[in-house]
Amino acid sequence: MTRMNRRALITASAVLAVAALTATTIPAQASEVGVSNSEIKLGMTLPMTGTASPGYNKIPGAMKAYFDYVNANGGVNGRKITIKVEDDRYVPTEAVAKTNKLILQDKVMALISPLGTANNKAVAASVNPARRGVPVLFVNTGFSGFADTKKYPTTYPILPSYVMEAKIMAEYIKDNFAGKTLGLVYQDDDFGTDALKGFTQAGVTFAAKVAYASGSQSAATAAGWVTKLSTAKCDVVVLFGVSSATAAGLGTAAALKYAPQWILGSVGGDATTIKASGVPAGVLYNAVGASFAPATTDAEDEYVKLFSDIYAKAVPGSAFDSYVLGAMNSAFVAAQALKAAGPDLTRKSLMAAIESKGASFASAALLPLNYSKTSHVGYSGYWFGKYSPTGDLKPVDGKYVLYTTDSGSGAVVKSTWKRPAMPAKGLPN
Amino acid sequence: MHKPSNKKRIAIFLLLGVAIYFLSGAVDELRVYQGASVAVFVVGIASIILLTGYSGQVSLGQGALLGVGGYAAALMRIHFNTPIWICFAVAILAAAVAGALLGLAAARLSGPYLAGTTLAFAVGLPSVANQFQLLGGEQGLLFDVGFPPLSFGEDFTQYKWFFWIASLATLIAIFWLQNVMRSRYGRSWKAVRGNDVAAELAGINLTRNKTLAFTLSAGLAGLSGALLAMTIGTVSPSAFPLALSFSLLTGAVLAGVTTLGGVMIGAVTLVAIPDIAGAVASRFGSSEAVTNNLPGLLVSALLILTVLFVPNGPVEQFRARREHRVNK
Repeated sequence: MTRMNRRALITASAVLAVAALTATTIPAQASEVGVSNSEIKLGMTLPMTGTASPGYNKIPGAMKAYFDYVNANGGVNGRKITIKVEDDRYVPTEAVAKTNKLILQDKVMALISPLGTANNKAVAASVNPARRGVPVLFVNTGFSGFADTKKYPTTYPILPSYVMEAKIMAEYIKDNFAGKTLGLVYQDDDFGTDALKGFTQAGVTFAAKVAYASGSQSAATAAGWVTKLSTAKCDVVVLFGVSSATAAGLGTAAALKYAPQWILGSVGGDATTIKASGVPAGVLYNAVGASFAPATTDAEDEYVKLFSDIYAKAVPGSAFDSYVLGAMNSAFVAAQALKAAGPDLTRKSLMAAIESKGASFASAALLPLNYSKTSHVGYSGYWFGKYSPTGDLKPVDGKYVLYTTDSGSGAVVKSTWKRPAMPAKGLPN
Repeated sequence: MHKPSNKKRIAIFLLLGVAIYFLSGAVDELRVYQGASVAVFVVGIASIILLTGYSGQVSLGQGALLGVGGYAAALMRIHFNTPIWICFAVAILAAAVAGALLGLAAARLSGPYLAGTTLAFAVGLPSVANQFQLLGGEQGLLFDVGFPPLSFGEDFTQYKWFFWIASLATLIAIFWLQNVMRSRYGRSWKAVRGNDVAAELAGINLTRNKTLAFTLSAGLAGLSGALLAMTIGTVSPSAFPLALSFSLLTGAVLAGVTTLGGVMIGAVTLVAIPDIAGAVASRFGSSEAVTNNLPGLLVSALLILTVLFVPNGPVEQFRARREHRVNK
């Protein structure tokens, strides 16, 4: 009897397990996957847990806050926008598995802001959203390759590429630090190689170049960088790495009383993340940083005002930093693209809308978007500012000076573009 | 205990192959992809069972050996455009060579020292990829096994192709492993695991046996790494993190580390946990923090429960109980 019971129990559990595994969601009744009469489903993968997650794990909350605001104001063409967030722990294998789930099981209409170059490359190779016709909106990486419309026809980057950033930084150095001895710390991979390409092209020479292997950055290795930089008597040092490298470099240099003029790349320049790694905000003071969005502390800016207001209500107690602003801006641009695609929303009409009208989408950035039939480049420039004693990046003398360029051999020019006024209530127009 | 004859085993494996063939046609694309992932884990977990369960050595660095295999396969494909099966063969060889070197060091170590050495290997190796341009840095390399043959028809998806390749490789690998386990070497390893002094007195060369176990285990890990690289289309340092080594170890414990019989249980659990966690979280509408940490929590809980209640794994437990009953 006991045996019968046990066997029945095992069989029942096995059947249950199989049933749980094969149960799938009911597909939406509409002409396009992920679009129903009342809802538009988007999906995203990014590190929500693990060592790479600090800072980035605020992105979904920020995007949801904006989409909920749009939904509360009638949605987009009567449909509410929802996002399904999956944690990939910054591991390509998990990014592929989770993206498959989003596309094949959750049936999202498009992917939004997937993060990380290696992850996006793996997803492009394995899941192949292009072959499935799935739009990949506003990838969160500066790898210039994703703007290649032949290789990634459904992918739309939004960040300026690392090549652009280096070229622009070189121009800024020429304008502000001519004749100084220059030093560079960069990551020894494609991220750094892209940067070197930009600097070389702009004709900037460094007295000392320090390459570090990704993952090797620590106070101990940073002591080695400082020795090299100070031996070469560098007055101006560019830190073109990830946040943890910036934190290690600044913290160690401060401890060793080495104080050149620091210039931080945009990837490793987020003050909240640097502070979260235990470095006092004070070491950031007076360092030069780059951004394409307005300063997060700029209370005059209408977008900053609206977004920080929405965010404070949706996620009380969380700091409004550059990740939050960037994420809400991407959500804002996505909402406009969905609106521009019209009431008969399909994956194709969404991409067509970005390519035909994307360049005129409103956004919080101080530079225009460059989307067209032949270009998938998002923003293409930066302004430079200095960090305040509290670690906030602010434009010098309150004035944004914007530089713009391309990922190729184009020149760096000062931008004269004026951002149009925000659409009424910050809703897609 | 009675063990099935070779003929019977071949028949069982052929039947399994046929079952997999029909299964791949019956389920949707996501399940087919997950099936390929299960195959990757089966080989990876089997490599740990061979090493830990049979030869009594611990490796916390199996993920790095998967990485060696993955990179070897990708480099062969990119630079020499070799057929896939040669890529896999080279992956096995490359990882086996790495494993032999590691095994030579490991044979002199045991317990925490061995764990520490292999752990260092897992931590250090991925950053090598950043030192050489050839290895593609943080973003890694593409590993494209190509489209399925046209003769399979237009409905034959890429993932089905991955699944078939992975399943076939896995069936062959497990069949081979069973043979090794039943050979003189398998018996020697078990003797070493049981009591190495006694084994040595019985004429078993400890160093040679331990190194051989490490080499063969690494070869399997290399195959698993190449299969993993195939399913995600790329290799990069972040695809072979420390967490991968621990996942495989967890899978091996869940499977029952001293027997191959439960290897499927471990692999299916690793692949299914995120799904189950997602289903549970959405059923109870839990907060983001719960949703994100539930998979890790479930795996840890399962691990603790396994160690507490079925320390040798469910399959071994089942067999022991049955034998007990028969003998009574």
